[in-house]
Amino acid sequence: MDFLYELAELSINGALVGLMYALVALGIVLVFKASSVANLAQGALVMVGAYLTWASMELLGAPIWAAIPLGIIAMFFIGRGIERVALRRMIGQPVIMVIMLTLGLEIMLRGLAPAVFGPVKKRLDLGIDTAPIIIGSIFIDKAYLITGVVALALVALAALFFGTRQGIMLRAVSDDQTASWSVGIPVERAIGISWGLAGVAAAAAGILWGSVQGVDWTLSLLLIKALAVAILGGLDSILGVVIAGLAVGILENVAPVYLERIGIAGTRDVVASLVILATVIVRPYGLFGREDIERV
Amino acid sequence: MRRVISTLAGAVALALASAPGWAQDKVIKFGFAEDFTKVYTFVTSEYNQGQRDYLALINERGGINGHRIEATVVDTGNEPQRGIEAYERFKAEGAVLVDFLSTPVSRAVVPRALQDGINVLTMFHGRSDAADGETFPTVFPAGALYWSQAAVILKYISDQEGGNLKGKKIAFVGIDSPFGKEPLPVFEAVRDKEGFELQTFFYPSPGNEQSSTWTAVRRYRPDWVVIWGAGGGQTVSLRDAVRNGIKLDRLLSVIWLSETDTQIVGNDAAKGVLRFEGVAYGRDNPVIKAILEEVYAKGKGAGDEKNVGSSYYNIGVASMAIVVEGVRNALEKQGEPLTAEKLKKGLEEIKNFTAEGLLPPLTITAQDHQGGGYGRISQWDGSKWVPKTDWIAAYQDIVMDLVKKTAAEFKKQ
Amino acid sequence: MFYRLAGVRHTTYRSARQLYPIPFDRYLLYTIVVIAIAAPFLFSPLTLNSYLLPWVIWSTAALGLNLLMGWAGQVHLGYAAVMAIGAYTAIHSVRAGIPFEIALILAGLASAAIGFVFGGAALRVKGLYLAVTTLAMQSIVDWTIVHVPAISGGSQATLQAPTLRIFGWPIESDAGRYWFALAICAVVTSFLLNVSRTSLGRALVAVREKDFAAAIIGVNPFKYKLLAFWCSSFIGGIAGAVLAFCYYRAVTPEQFHLEVSIQAVAMVIVGGLGSVLGSFFGAGLVLLAPIFLNNLVNDIAVALNLPLHAEIISHIPLVLYGALIVGFLLYEPLGLAKVYDNVRNYFFVWPFRHARH
Repeated sequence: MDFLYELAELSINGALVGLMYALVALGIVLVFKASSVANLAQGALVMVGAYLTWASMELLGAPIWAAIPLGIIAMFFIGRGIERVALRRMIGQPVIMVIMLTLGLEIMLRGLAPAVFGPVKKRLDLGIDTAPIIIGSIFIDKAYLITGVVALALVALAALFFGTRQGIMLRAVSDDQTASWSVGIPVERAIGISWGLAGVAAAAAGILWGSVQGVDWTLSLLLIKALAVAILGGLDSILGVVIAGLAVGILENVAPVYLERIGIAGTRDVVASLVILATVIVRPYGLFGREDIERV
Repeated sequence: MRRVISTLAGAVALALASAPGWAQDKVIKFGFAEDFTKVYTFVTSEYNQGQRDYLALINERGGINGHRIEATVVDTGNEPQRGIEAYERFKAEGAVLVDFLSTPVSRAVVPRALQDGINVLTMFHGRSDAADGETFPTVFPAGALYWSQAAVILKYISDQEGGNLKGKKIAFVGIDSPFGKEPLPVFEAVRDKEGFELQTFFYPSPGNEQSSTWTAVRRYRPDWVVIWGAGGGQTVSLRDAVRNGIKLDRLLSVIWLSETDTQIVGNDAAKGVLRFEGVAYGRDNPVIKAILEEVYAKGKGAGDEKNVGSSYYNIGVASMAIVVEGVRNALEKQGEPLTAEKLKKGLEEIKNFTAEGLLPPLTITAQDHQGGGYGRISQWDGSKWVPKTDWIAAYQDIVMDLVKKTAAEFKKQ
Repeated sequence: MFYRLAGVRHTTYRSARQLYPIPFDRYLLYTIVVIAIAAPFLFSPLTLNSYLLPWVIWSTAALGLNLLMGWAGQVHLGYAAVMAIGAYTAIHSVRAGIPFEIALILAGLASAAIGFVFGGAALRVKGLYLAVTTLAMQSIVDWTIVHVPAISGGSQATLQAPTLRIFGWPIESDAGRYWFALAICAVVTSFLLNVSRTSLGRALVAVREKDFAAAIIGVNPFKYKLLAFWCSSFIGGIAGAVLAFCYYRAVTPEQFHLEVSIQAVAMVIVGGLGSVLGSFFGAGLVLLAPIFLNNLVNDIAVALNLPLHAEIISHIPLVLYGALIVGFLLYEPLGLAKVYDNVRNYFFVWPFRHARH
């Protein structure tokens, strides 16, 4: 019986963490959907979002309910700015160049943010206390519960957004850029907006993760987990991001504990890599991704 | 094209012209190639600030026998190749001591330093077997090795349990890296001697997410928990321990737990947690007070004044206090000018040195570069770290055995 | 004036198909080779040990990766893992008593075998997915090295490299190690210079451009993709072994992390995909830029008396390094090789502005 309770606890906490990974992956999916570019700088954007929010709280003295919107709006413009300045010139270049560009951006941001704000870990206080929620003998981490639910809400919001007029415009652009041009949809603006939304998702993820683990450069390491979630779910599917997030989060929480008991320690980080490998071998486009048929 | 060449030429000229002109006489050079940007960010800035402030204090007082001490500070980003490059540059400049504050970098450089005879300070990091002064003549841990820290922690637990550990459950939560696994031999040796139960739990580096680990720890229902991480992982460990209802006065940490971590978790929420302390904390010490009065009052501090007296700042100060004492011994007994060889002998003459209360009594000999393995346990009371024990050393027989065994393996290569 | 073409006539196909038909190119090459060999006598030990030696070794590694990314067009974000396998195999073999030359070949073979497995993923996916898969494999290899004490060397996790012995003679001097690395680099360079003149090279280029078109004309893309992975991993393994024996002289897991993979890819891209000279330039820039930027920033801060704290100064090289990569990709995507090409074209007809053909 205790085994079941333990499994339930690990799964619930894992699912909540997975939803938080899904929020980071949402940014990757948004960008890929609109412009077929894999944004490997998403981890760094999460970090910058967290730093900006912390800065508006500490340096500008804004209260929490003002700092969060400030951070989100700032990141929206940063996302659009990156697309404008960097990505627009790379249209038509081979994919490796664009990947390298985002990696270079990631390195730059990883150096810039700690340089400007200081490298020591910072506290981002959302006001959630440390007492856990106890159901029976299952401890649920209150911070994870709140942040997980918020992440899910944001992802749902993103999905709803795609039903609005602007959202349909973005979907058209992600389907076929040339056709969208020909019917008069402003493609550059749509791509810019999708990058801005990715920035917003990054800011939200940064605030949530920053409150849980403190703000410093290690937030950018969330990239690998987010990539695993995005690939498992399908690089252009929002529903996939949620399902894959849950799967990766639960797997990552449950598997290492039992593997450690039979002697294989420290498998937690390898789980994400193995997920990527398994997905690519079995079903490269992910659970819900749309298969990209290469036309000759 | 012309413009490009002339701008390049201008930049090169600026770089060359701005090379600091070293005073040609009576200058002792140290090289600090530390990791400011990658893994050790939690400790390096304050540690380095402490080091430079202490050297500024010494220079303000006229140096040692008129010798000023200059330190070159570079960032290595925890990359061994940059550490090697920095080391070669320090060697070319005539440095007599180098400090890397990074275990992988110091491990990569130690063979070269042993060959060249330059002293390497590896305080609270690096190779634990470097305590063997005969195999590693120029490497100086000069402070409690991780093995000694584990021993002191276990001694504290044993004292709290009235000397009888039989049947008690100790949980060891460590980062899944060689550093996290390092104290295990000591834990296992003491377990075989004292009869307690030990269960290890590892979380992957860097430790941003440890909820499943701590769930498992909670279900193990340990009597005592020891955490062994560094940097961000420690903060998350502390937080998750609190969230899982572990009593903080039964939670002990390795030396790398500081006010930053307790502040992020919440100063009151972290009340009661214990840690190993190798250097006294706070500003209530003549050396720290002197730094405030003689260095910061004149605006010559190397960083933010509010860092003075913090845990890692004091470790930096202590590291330089030890080295300066070695310089003093070398200059007095062996005469000028100072060479790396003389500094080595000077360091080995340090006996019962406490840096005016900052350190436990440190005695370095040609065979023992650790200095005794002293430390104490201190507790967070909501606003500061309060020492709970005197300076003690424990199970040094087990520690020294381990040192000899691993040093012998190094010698075989 | 420099690249004099007057009097350069070829009477055999052989001479027309030389790698460097123009004499000036040949003289440049000879000068560089002479300087490279005489380097231990011309430069200070600091320059030799910290700048030239890693440059030579990393150029070898970049050349191997360029074979895969530039010629065969496959993305590989896990090159450091391949080098790690080579390094660890070489060290364990020599410690087990196998002579160094054989250990080096063994290292190459071991890396090639595992690289071959990486390459299997290339059969399934392309582009971004391949990049992410190789990324995942890099983490798995990292994890394996750290968690299997037999490989990583137990609790201290550092393996000292035994003394380098060529045919029984120990090489202990800096110059000796440098010459050995230079020799390996020369072999790899000549292989790559000639690859595009062989059928292997032509097949790889065909696969890179459009693999189904290549399949139609009879070039088996599966075979050549796997072959590309095998060859480039072999070179990577040897480069890793040389790195461990000549430069670091010890091997730790941190030396071959994801960061290093990204650095290798940066070297190839900044240098220029598919260009041998580009690999050298790229390796030099990416390797030495952080160091020089570090020193430059420090010196400027001291000269202008800026009260910047060390922590801020230490982050600036990282920012500049990232900006360098981004800048190159935005403004000169063909890399430093193209920049060299532009310079060469300028001097080709100098002092004229252009030539009438």
